[in-house]
Amino acid sequence: MSDQHKSGEIAVSVKDLGLIYKTTIDKKLSLTNRIKNLGRGTKQTRIVNALDGVNLDVDYGSVLGVVGANGAGKSTMMRVISGILPPTTGRVEVYGKVSTLLALGVGFNKQLTGRQNVILGGLASGLSRDEIEHHFEEIADFAELGEAIDAPMRTYSSGMYARLGFSVAVTVKPDILIVDEALSTGDARFKEKSLEKLKELRGDNRALILVSHALGTIREVCNDVAWLHKGKLIQRGKPNDVVDAYQDFLAVGKSAVVNEDV
Amino acid sequence: MALLPLLAALSGNLAHMSRAVEVYEPFRAGLPPLGRYWRSLWARRSFISEYAKSELHASHYDSVFGQLWLVLNPLLLSAIYFVMIKIISGSGDSTRYAHLTASLFLFYLVSNAMNSGTKSVTSSENLILNTAFPRIALPLSTTIVALFKFLPTIPVFLIIKFSLGLDFGINMLWGLVIVFIALVFGLGIAILIAAANVYIRDISNFLPYLNRVLLYLSPVLFEASSVSDNLAFLKAVNPFFPILNSWSRAMVHNEALNWAEVGSAALWAFGTFLIGTYLFLSREREFAVRV
Repeated sequence: MSDQHKSGEIAVSVKDLGLIYKTTIDKKLSLTNRIKNLGRGTKQTRIVNALDGVNLDVDYGSVLGVVGANGAGKSTMMRVISGILPPTTGRVEVYGKVSTLLALGVGFNKQLTGRQNVILGGLASGLSRDEIEHHFEEIADFAELGEAIDAPMRTYSSGMYARLGFSVAVTVKPDILIVDEALSTGDARFKEKSLEKLKELRGDNRALILVSHALGTIREVCNDVAWLHKGKLIQRGKPNDVVDAYQDFLAVGKSAVVNEDV
Repeated sequence: MALLPLLAALSGNLAHMSRAVEVYEPFRAGLPPLGRYWRSLWARRSFISEYAKSELHASHYDSVFGQLWLVLNPLLLSAIYFVMIKIISGSGDSTRYAHLTASLFLFYLVSNAMNSGTKSVTSSENLILNTAFPRIALPLSTTIVALFKFLPTIPVFLIIKFSLGLDFGINMLWGLVIVFIALVFGLGIAILIAAANVYIRDISNFLPYLNRVLLYLSPVLFEASSVSDNLAFLKAVNPFFPILNSWSRAMVHNEALNWAEVGSAALWAFGTFLIGTYLFLSREREFAVRV
């Protein structure tokens, strides 16, 4: 399904993308709160300027790393590219099949088993039952959950969660693969394995977008890096240049800690 | 000579242009493109059924005792209410008991759809944040669960009616029409309240009271014919009235339907469904930042 894309062809085009949304200050907005605040003039919502005039093209055959501090808008941008959030301004064009199931979506219902969650998540993202069953063994094997795949996900550790999420994201091979920080929890061996998997997935007929705080991985895997800060694209270019600039900005230096974490 | 590569390049470009391109742009106020939405929802039909299935499994629907409990709950309630009626009014015959059971069962279909629909969106936070799919699939699937929980109560009602020695007849088949109308109404309420719950999270606190008030104002504990004239306005403002009365007419009394009443029931049902769907669809693109 993905061999029709040639290296250098455009995969994702993000033009002047802006995203502004209103969110509640209290996480849970209730009627009681609304009534309590009635007439007091206290604002219950605040405007979040999550993305502001971002221009970004991703070509097939490239691996784009996205770096930035917490709250930079990285995940938000991935959600716009996946069609989860509609942009406020600008335009996003996606030339191919994008992974609409971001890794974190796996395990949305903790009462259900890992297997049910994978199947439901896959079906929700628009895959057919056959496609999911076709990939299921591979997903379960890669996640190394063993018999726990049939246990309710409330019994999972955070590492198990992350492993399953990553496995789903990388096994159902879309043309445009988005991996959003799914690697950050997991033991050293699984990190190593995920890194190998990502390298294996780099190919001419696929575009890979990797969102991570693991600058070492970004340097190693990506051939293109974008640095977002507070919703704006600060720099785009060769991995080493951008990551160096980003590290200088963070003033953390190239210490082992930042590089090591996958 | 130079034309060939040009043509090739051109056709290559065309192929490139015609490839499935998803475009995400700011949405205008109101509804998303309905044709596209419907296709995308249709493509998720196995998600809807699978989700319903796993919910049913979680409530032990596929075991004998799970189903027994589903039936037992409204059955015990009807027994309690019947005793209450007997004590308060001193009257109560077998028709009254059949009416009470049948009406409670159907009331529970709508009320279950409403209760389970309430949190259908907000409890799927993770899925909504990380997957692109038509959100209406969520209340749709909880309503299917409510329907499946309703189904085993039909044979139970028929057994009760039979053992009470009441007449069976062809008019009882009209009940199917009423179940359909009740289902549309339940779905409409589920969709409406699922969207509302995103903005007002404590709706679920009001639900038990809402359920109770609706139950007492509907012809469940009493028959519609016994409502005095100065309370007749209830028939006009309570959507359960025409639905439950038609249901009782067909299933309990084995009478032909009153079409004016059915029309009013259908109007309530489809009206609620359309309004609920409109509100849901026009708001759902905001759910991802609100859940």
